[in-house]
Amino acid sequence: MEEPKIHEELQKMAVEPLLPIEKKLITWSIVLGIVLIGILVWVSHTFFEV
Amino acid sequence: MDTKVSLKTGEAKISEDWLAVVIGLFIFLLSLTAFINWDILGWVITTKVWTNLAMALKPTSGNYANLPGLLSLLITYLFLLVIFMVGAYWLKANLKKFVLGFTLVFFISYICWIIGGWAYIAATPNQLDNYGISWSLNLTLEAGYIIALLAGLFIGNFAPGFSRVMGEAIRPELYIKTAIVILGGFLGITAAEQLGLATSVMFRGLCAIVEAYLIYWALVYFIARKYFKFSREWAVPLASGISICGVSAAIATGSAIKARPVVPIMVSSLVVIFAVVELILLPFIAQNFLYNEPLVAGAWMGLAVKTDGAAVASGAITESLILTKALAEQGIQYQQGWIMATTTTVKVFIDVFIAVWAFILAWIWSAKIQRLPGEKIKARQMWDRFPKFILGYMFTFFVIILIGILLPNWVSQAKTAMGQGNVFRSIFFVMTFFTIGVVSNFRKLWQEGIGRLALVYVICLFGFIIWIGLLISWLFFNGVKPPVL
Repeated sequence: MEEPKIHEELQKMAVEPLLPIEKKLITWSIVLGIVLIGILVWVSHTFFEV
Repeated sequence: MDTKVSLKTGEAKISEDWLAVVIGLFIFLLSLTAFINWDILGWVITTKVWTNLAMALKPTSGNYANLPGLLSLLITYLFLLVIFMVGAYWLKANLKKFVLGFTLVFFISYICWIIGGWAYIAATPNQLDNYGISWSLNLTLEAGYIIALLAGLFIGNFAPGFSRVMGEAIRPELYIKTAIVILGGFLGITAAEQLGLATSVMFRGLCAIVEAYLIYWALVYFIARKYFKFSREWAVPLASGISICGVSAAIATGSAIKARPVVPIMVSSLVVIFAVVELILLPFIAQNFLYNEPLVAGAWMGLAVKTDGAAVASGAITESLILTKALAEQGIQYQQGWIMATTTTVKVFIDVFIAVWAFILAWIWSAKIQRLPGEKIKARQMWDRFPKFILGYMFTFFVIILIGILLPNWVSQAKTAMGQGNVFRSIFFVMTFFTIGVVSNFRKLWQEGIGRLALVYVICLFGFIIWIGLLISWLFFNGVKPPVL
């Protein structure tokens, strides 16, 4: 069987605008990540001190 | 690098993950015989730094001191050949081709390791007088790994016919996963002696990867979708491959959103190539700028270098380079094992979370994006995608740490046992480096159409993933140092 070619596969790619659910996933993920940085750094330096 | 392997083992009776667990646990169990004072693995070959080639090869245990180095090497090869032949049979590989391929992989890898042990390459500054030399590259014995990688790259890119001869045995994921199962026991005994530090490293490692998942994945997905106009089918495996853990994440999340298998496989070919670039560059950057913060460097390798093999391997090289530099510049001799333990901890947690993340994406895609009527996402899918070799790692780690905590009188036997198992781990590491090199086909970068894919990869990886990984590593691991000897 012939190996699929990247440029052929990319050409077949459909145009799909960002859906609101994707924007929500991206935003929540980054916001949660930034909020958790503060909390987890505090927890690790307070309760798991070396 | 999984891609090639998964295609090969389509009809196999066992997955490479489970095979790594079986082989790793077999060697682990054999090494445990040290507890009853049996030295049944003492004949295994080990490599030393040398100025005279006759000094390079020696059996691991003093009980086998009379065994010539070359004979020890031959016995080690035969022992591993038999074990891996059984594995190849279960994987339904072509046994004849496997034997030939394994023999070449083993001996080429080992020759590279011996070359890397030449004192002018490997000796550290404090060893120069011992070897009667005035200079060296200070690269430690791990230089052999780099030489194996370069040899693999040369063969993979300039001698494709020869690499096809070895094809059945070019299984970097199998070698590194087996090594990680064995490594669990070695890290277990290291952790048992410093339980507080080990707990702290594990918790911080967990925090670091939660952060990495949430920030990395979302950013790469956004850039791929918004600015490079990739469809969801391409953007999900691409984001997972670049940001999380390379090949396995691209494949797991690709199948979670029902992408065609060809998509994650194409993404994976890039993951492998750039993992090699990171593997060559990042440990040396870490040595120069992070030798004051060894565990930041270890966590950074786990977060930044994609694929299990390249990440854990880069942790091993980083450890050697930083320990050498810290000793030479600061006169500090850190205990060995902690930098690699940090890299491995981070990587293992990342692998565990691949299954969770794939499950979350499967649910979002099924419930909100593709909305296929009547389709339900089952929790079992998480288990199906869980990388099983981690069970082997956790088993060996917890067995040994429990022995260390509950039976402190047995610690010295546990050290001997894990020391012998660790020799096999080093052999699997060098074979991993060589085979990673062989599968890294840089000519793919010239393939028509790959530019757009490679561009988003380069921008995301070198633009922010490496640096966010460094920031997260620094936030969680700054000030956490390995024990000083």
